[in-house]
Amino acid sequence: MLRIGRAQISVSRWQLGYESRIQLWGILFILPTILFFMIFKYGPMLWAIYLSFTGYDIVTEPKFIGLNNYINIFKDPIFLQALNNTLIYIMGSTIAITVLGLGLALIINTGIKASRFFMSSMFLTNIMPILAVCLVWRFLFHPYGLVNQFLSPLGLGRIDWLTNSYLALPAIIIVTAWRFAPYFMVVFLAGLLAVPKEIYEAADIDGVTPISRFLRITLPMISPIVFFVVVVSALLCARIFLMPFIITGGGPGGATRVLSMLIYETGFSYLKMGRAAAISVILFLIMMVFTILQIRFFSKTEEY
Amino acid sequence: MRKSAKKERISDVVGKEVTRRSFLKGVGTLGLGLAATSSMNRLAFAQPKGPIKLSFWTWQNPQQHAWIQKRVKLFMEKNKGIQIDWQYFTFTDLGKKISVGYATGTAPEGFATGTWLMPTWLSRNMIAPLDIKLLGYSSLQSFVNDYPKAFIDGAVKNDKVYGYPVYVYGFLNYLNTKQFKEAKLDPEKDQPKTWEELGEIARKLAIKKGNKFERQGFKFAMHAPMWTMVQFNPILLQCGGSWFDKSGKCTVNSNAGVRAMTIRASIIRKYQAEDPADSIATSPLPMMDFLKERVSMFSTHCIPIPAVKSQNEKMAAEGYYRPVQMPGVDPNKRYPTAYGFNFVVNINASKEKQEALHDLYRFIMSDLVDCWKDTGPFTPARKSGWADDPQVKSYPHIDEIIKARDNGALLPETPVVNELSDIMHQTVQKVTLENADIKKALDEAAVQVDKATEEFKNQK
Repeated sequence: MLRIGRAQISVSRWQLGYESRIQLWGILFILPTILFFMIFKYGPMLWAIYLSFTGYDIVTEPKFIGLNNYINIFKDPIFLQALNNTLIYIMGSTIAITVLGLGLALIINTGIKASRFFMSSMFLTNIMPILAVCLVWRFLFHPYGLVNQFLSPLGLGRIDWLTNSYLALPAIIIVTAWRFAPYFMVVFLAGLLAVPKEIYEAADIDGVTPISRFLRITLPMISPIVFFVVVVSALLCARIFLMPFIITGGGPGGATRVLSMLIYETGFSYLKMGRAAAISVILFLIMMVFTILQIRFFSKTEEY
Repeated sequence: MRKSAKKERISDVVGKEVTRRSFLKGVGTLGLGLAATSSMNRLAFAQPKGPIKLSFWTWQNPQQHAWIQKRVKLFMEKNKGIQIDWQYFTFTDLGKKISVGYATGTAPEGFATGTWLMPTWLSRNMIAPLDIKLLGYSSLQSFVNDYPKAFIDGAVKNDKVYGYPVYVYGFLNYLNTKQFKEAKLDPEKDQPKTWEELGEIARKLAIKKGNKFERQGFKFAMHAPMWTMVQFNPILLQCGGSWFDKSGKCTVNSNAGVRAMTIRASIIRKYQAEDPADSIATSPLPMMDFLKERVSMFSTHCIPIPAVKSQNEKMAAEGYYRPVQMPGVDPNKRYPTAYGFNFVVNINASKEKQEALHDLYRFIMSDLVDCWKDTGPFTPARKSGWADDPQVKSYPHIDEIIKARDNGALLPETPVVNELSDIMHQTVQKVTLENADIKKALDEAAVQVDKATEEFKNQK
C-alpha cells in the first residue's frame, strides 16, 4: 500500500468497493470482445447505413444524396426481381430444409440399422467444399445429366433445370436443401431424443396411431426446435450467395439473382457502392424480421 | 622529320608536348573511362533507385501468368533494389479486386487490365499517363504505329498513353475438320464466310436423334457476360449498328440491333443447329464442347495446343481442327472482336514507383519471342519484335490468328461496360433460352443501359 504524500491521497479518493471492483474487472475482461464487435461488426454496419445515403463510386469521396438510393432501387425492376427471388428462395429453402431435416431425423430416430453411419454420411453434404458441390450439381442438372436420367422412368422427358427461368430457382432450392437439411437433421434429432419416452409409452398403451402420435406429441414437444430451425435456416438462406453465383450466375435472365448477388455486382462490378449499401440495408431489415421473430418466440417458449 | 612534324601537330592541338608513352596512357585512361561509364549506364538502368517495393497484379491464365511471373522474377534478379509483390486473379475477379483495392487504399501500384475496362479506370481518373520514352519509344507516333489501330485507340486519350499493350487477340471460328469431311464438306472451300452460310453449314454438320443433339453444328458461348459481348459486338457493327449514339444513348434496339440479334438467334431458331442449354463449358474452359467434339464449329480466341491436348489427345495429335476468320454479314465484313490486356499504373503510386513500373513493363515485354514460346498462340499486342521469328511463322494457321487480331473491332468504350455486358447477357439468354421477342427484349435492354449511364453521370 502506498503511503507517500499526494499519491496516498489520490489512491484513497478513487478506492472502489468490492462489488465495483468486480464489475470493473468484468468490464475489462469483456472489453476486447466489445471492441472487436464495435470495430469489425457494428462499425462497418453503421458505415454501410451511412453509405446508403450517399453516392459513392469507391474512388471519390461519398456525396450525401439523401434517400435517392432507396427511391431509385424501389423503381428498379432488377432490384424488385432480385427481392422477389430472395423471398421465394428463403421461403422455398426454409420449407424444404425443415421438412427434409425433420423427416430424416424421424427416420434415424426409429433406430434403423446403421443409423449412425447414415447420419454421418448425410452430414458429409454439409462439410463438402461449396465450390465442388456447385460444380457437381451443375452437371447433375444438365439436360442429359443424372437428375433427368433418374427422372426419365416417370416419363417427364428432358427438363432444362438451369436454363428455364421457372425451374432454375427451384433447382437452387433443391441444392440448398440437399446441403443444409442433414445439418438441421442433427438439430431435430437432438430435440427428438429429449422427448421423454414415458409419454410415447403412455400413448402406445392408449392405442394412439403413429400419425396422431407425431402430430399430438412429437410436434408440440419439439416445436421450439422447429421454430429455431425455421428461423436459422431462413437467416442462412437470406445471405446465400455462392450457390446461385456458381451454378447459374444469376441467370437465366436474372431468374436466380438474389439480393446478395445484386449487392456484390452493384458494389464491386458497377462501382455503385452507395446503392449497394442501400440494398444491403434492405436485406438487413429482412433478416431483422426473422431475428425479432426468433427472439420474441423464444422469450415466450413454454417448458414441457 | 616526318616524326617531328606529327609530334608538332598533336602538340598544337593538345597544347603540350605529347610523347608516345603519354598518348598510350591517355588512350588507356579513355578506354577505362568509357568502360566505366558504360557499365554505370547499365547499372543506372538496372538499379534506378534505392530499395523499392512494388505490388503488381495480373490475370490468371496457365500460360500467360506463368510467363509474366517468370519475367517478374528475372527483373527482380537483375534489379536487386526492387522487390515486387506479384499476384494474379481470375479474368473476371481481377477488375473487382482492383476496385476494392482502390476503395480500401490497397490497390496495387501496377496492374494488368482487360482493354474493355480502360474506360472504367479512365473515367474515374484512377490510372496515370505513361511516359512512352521510358517504355523505349521516341515519339507518340512510333508507339501508335507499333500496335493494331483498334487496340491502341482504347489506350491513348488526348495524346496521352494510359495503357501499355501486352496481348491482343481476335476471335476465330474453329472448325472440326474431321467432322467437316464426315459431312462431305471441305474445311477450306466450305468455311462459312457469311452468317447465313454459317447457319446452313451448321445445319449440315448437326446430328440429331429425336430432340437430342448428338452433335451441334455451331455454338455461341453462354457462360459469361463478357463473352456474350465479344460475340455479339461484331455482328451488331457489321449490321451497321452501334452501341451508343453521339449523345450517349444506347442504340442496341435499333433496326440494325434487331437484325444482329436475329442473326445471333438464327442458329437456334432458323437453322436448328444449336441447343443453347446443352453445354459442358465452364469459365476456365469455354471451348470444352468443341474440344470434346460435341460441336463442329465454335467461336473463341485462339486455343493453345496444350489446352487441346489436355482435353482431347487425339484431336491434338491428328490436328483435325483449324481456325478460320469469323463470318460477316457479307464476305467483305469478316471481322471479330479483338480484345486484350494493358499494363497500367495506379495514379496514386509515387513518382519513383511509377518509373520503376515503366522499367518493369519494358523489361517484361522486351523479349517477345520468349513470350511467344511460352504463351503462343496468344498474340503479343506489339507488331514488331516477334512475328517474323521462324518459330512464330511455323505455327499452324498463324496467319489467320494474326489477321483476326489486326482486323478486330474493339468492344464499346463506355464506363458502364459491366452493366452493359450483364444486361446484354440476360437479353441473349431471354432470346435464346426463352424465345423472347427480340425487339421487346432489346428495348428493355436499351432502357436499362440508359439508366445505368444516367446513374453514372449523376454519381459523378
